[in-house]
Amino acid sequence: MASQYAAELCALLVEDNFGELFARIFSILQRYDRLSFPRLKFYSRLSDRQLRHGLAAMIQHHLIYHYTSYDEGVTYYEPNPQAAYYLVRSGKILAFIQDRLGKYAATVMSTIMLLGHAQISHLETLPELRSGQLEADGINDDHEGEGAGERVNGHNVVGAIEQPALLHPTLKTLASHGYLIRVRDAQFQSYADNALDAERAIKSRPDVKQMKGKRLEETVLEGTLAMLREKLDGDLTRGLMHNGLPRGAKRRPGSGSADKSARMDYDMEDEAEEENEWSDDDMGGDATPMESGIVIRVNYEKLDVALRNRRFLDLAEMHASSATAQVYECLLRRIEYQTKQCRDSVEIPREGEEGEQYSVAIALSAVTEEVDPQLDLAGSIGPMEIQHSVSKRGKRPLDEDGVNGTSHQDSDAPSRTYEIDQHLSLLSQPPYNLTSKRVVSGLITWTVEFRHLARKLRHLELERVIEARYGDVALRVIRVLHAKGKLDEKRLQEISLLPFKDLRQVLASMQSGGFVDLQEVPRDAQRQPSRTIYLWFYDPDRIRDSILEDTYKAMSRCMQRLRFERSRLKEFLEKTERSDVKGNEERYLSPAELTLLGQWRSKEALLLGEITRLDEMVAVMRDY
Amino acid sequence: MSRFGAKKGRKLPGAEFSWETGEGGGENDTAPTPLFPKYHVPRARPLTPHEQIQVDQYRSLRERFHDGPYYSVLDSATSSAKKESAARVHFDPFHGMPSYSGKYQKKMRTLPKLAGREYVMKFFPKELWQTIQPSFKPDAAMDGYVLRIDRPGIRRGFEDDEDEEDDEAGKKGKNAEEGDAENEDDEREVLDPDEEEEEIMDDDFEDDDDDMGGDYNAEQYFDGGDDEYGDDGFGDGGGGGADEDTY
Repeated sequence: MASQYAAELCALLVEDNFGELFARIFSILQRYDRLSFPRLKFYSRLSDRQLRHGLAAMIQHHLIYHYTSYDEGVTYYEPNPQAAYYLVRSGKILAFIQDRLGKYAATVMSTIMLLGHAQISHLETLPELRSGQLEADGINDDHEGEGAGERVNGHNVVGAIEQPALLHPTLKTLASHGYLIRVRDAQFQSYADNALDAERAIKSRPDVKQMKGKRLEETVLEGTLAMLREKLDGDLTRGLMHNGLPRGAKRRPGSGSADKSARMDYDMEDEAEEENEWSDDDMGGDATPMESGIVIRVNYEKLDVALRNRRFLDLAEMHASSATAQVYECLLRRIEYQTKQCRDSVEIPREGEEGEQYSVAIALSAVTEEVDPQLDLAGSIGPMEIQHSVSKRGKRPLDEDGVNGTSHQDSDAPSRTYEIDQHLSLLSQPPYNLTSKRVVSGLITWTVEFRHLARKLRHLELERVIEARYGDVALRVIRVLHAKGKLDEKRLQEISLLPFKDLRQVLASMQSGGFVDLQEVPRDAQRQPSRTIYLWFYDPDRIRDSILEDTYKAMSRCMQRLRFERSRLKEFLEKTERSDVKGNEERYLSPAELTLLGQWRSKEALLLGEITRLDEMVAVMRDY
Repeated sequence: MSRFGAKKGRKLPGAEFSWETGEGGGENDTAPTPLFPKYHVPRARPLTPHEQIQVDQYRSLRERFHDGPYYSVLDSATSSAKKESAARVHFDPFHGMPSYSGKYQKKMRTLPKLAGREYVMKFFPKELWQTIQPSFKPDAAMDGYVLRIDRPGIRRGFEDDEDEEDDEAGKKGKNAEEGDAENEDDEREVLDPDEEEEEIMDDDFEDDDDDMGGDYNAEQYFDGGDDEYGDDGFGDGGGGGADEDTY
């Protein structure tokens, strides 16, 4: 993240969210990287007071690391570009939480984001969380989707006595899903500082001091990693999971049918129902509050995992029936509970150099449990079903009527398991291999090959870019090159079945764009052009890096454009933000101004939406 | 045509080198690039409902940040923009005058407001503790240090001029803080404030000069020389003679 445009983007994001003071401090730190207070003051030309307050607030938001060395006692400050970048993903994360866990959970989440990190006891005191839905009204205007009418009303009547009861279950649910983690001291220092500290600590141990050479290195390395893991670990899920399932995600087997039919829709409308369900669940269950001393923050790594699963699901939905996608969703959800981060290594792995990393294996029976019992599994895999029923008929003639009949509502458990297995094997087919089957000691389990799929997503994204830029001929050439490796022009032409002219044109334009390149292999020492073989090749890693850079640049340009557009309408926007105008726009603004406001809002939404889309690309290229 | 005696039917000179290329239809290398080439402007797709939700969430969170205690802008009140210059020049005579409706205008903070919530002190570096919690009193060993940051804690935002003076003081204090032996630093500060001032300059020459022990000082080359030689010119080598020896 040290590149120019990434740095620019981060500074712009900080400015967009927190204002110019933060942006100034942040960009200075990004430029000089690690500064003590006097140096920072010198470079930033800010007053003492501004700088101190700014730094404190930025540390609160995890935007900067600080480190006080033991020897000198000087505190150094360092930017945290990762945290700054995640500001752009906040909208996506909140929408996801709202989708999964309901509106109140999203409000809690956004409050935690607002506070940077927060003690539970502090959260309890906040008015917008206590009087829950009432306050949320002011923030989220579209309140129609709330749905859970009677419950909310009940709470409004009872007032502030019962509302905190909603906060704790929500927090617990968020924590048990892993979306929240405990804040540890070490999280405020950069990874390198922590690693150095841990290494020093390990080396000073008496038993390590006696070691020498390779053994010493190994011990130090292992010890450092273990220590880092221990120090940085803020996992809150452990105590809160029961039976490997987080709270709130539990689906009661005997719940009402309306609930289930709502889930069949698999839409956003049923979110209210879902919320209703889990809150009921928690209300009825143990209402022990979370420890009030715990300090929590948002766990972006885990949310990346969740968003990646969402992305896989989109892929599945595109290529399979909705029932299959739903089965897949259940599998992914089960896996998500046990996946902490998207990948083990911090840096982006090179193409072909990363080992396969399987997800945890989920037993077929667990998936069956998870899948909605009302889901029509048989409808979408017709031909398989006939085969299956034929095979079944031999074994169990008594079932005959039920199986041949159209209704599968009453299908018995083993056949349902079999059907789910069928759905999952459908997903395991090429080209995507969304799942893979494992038989562990006689037990059928299903896993997801994360690295393979992440690579697949990356390639799809690159191919999409290439097709949009150079057309489908180029896409074919790229695919041939990717599959076959380096090829000379003649061979490439033979495989891709394209006329020379088209091929050369497209190769030349792609070369100037940096997507393919030419390697010279001289046949003699003189390197004469006539006696040289020219091989075309396509290097996904290189393209990925340059696309990533371009994406950062495009995002920062969008931000700059947004800023410029805002400055053009500055006077007007300041008027709409006036304390008397805000909230009653209809009353104070003229019709022309209202249209202008609407236009501005949609313009801003379009630009922000574009940034969100670009962020999706960055996520695919960098984070997944 | 016939003005310069050109024969009829002859082409103008250079006409044989036409820009048109025979085959291929591609542009000739030497042809000027077209002034307004056809350019396909890609248009963004309209937002899907899902994306709209994401954008709305982002906007509402951003709005909460803006309304929150930490959002702060840099305006002319920064120490870098001196009162006389930038603030005056950029003053907007049309909208800058205070008006009645200005009381509804959103107030922009120039300093993040830290008070009003609890902080977990151990997550912050020690030198910021005083800022976060003004009531915080560290142990006596660091007394001098604390006193100095105590001053900015009491100040109000609108006292600009005093602000700057205090800043100067704070800066010196800060520099004194840098050294390990605080008492020595304090003494030095009292004796020689200018030297302290120099310490924050990156490219200061004075210190190097002292360290290296040479008598050549590029920064003083003209200063010293001008004065002395100027005097020389008028006063006919009065006091300049003594100095001439050193150079």
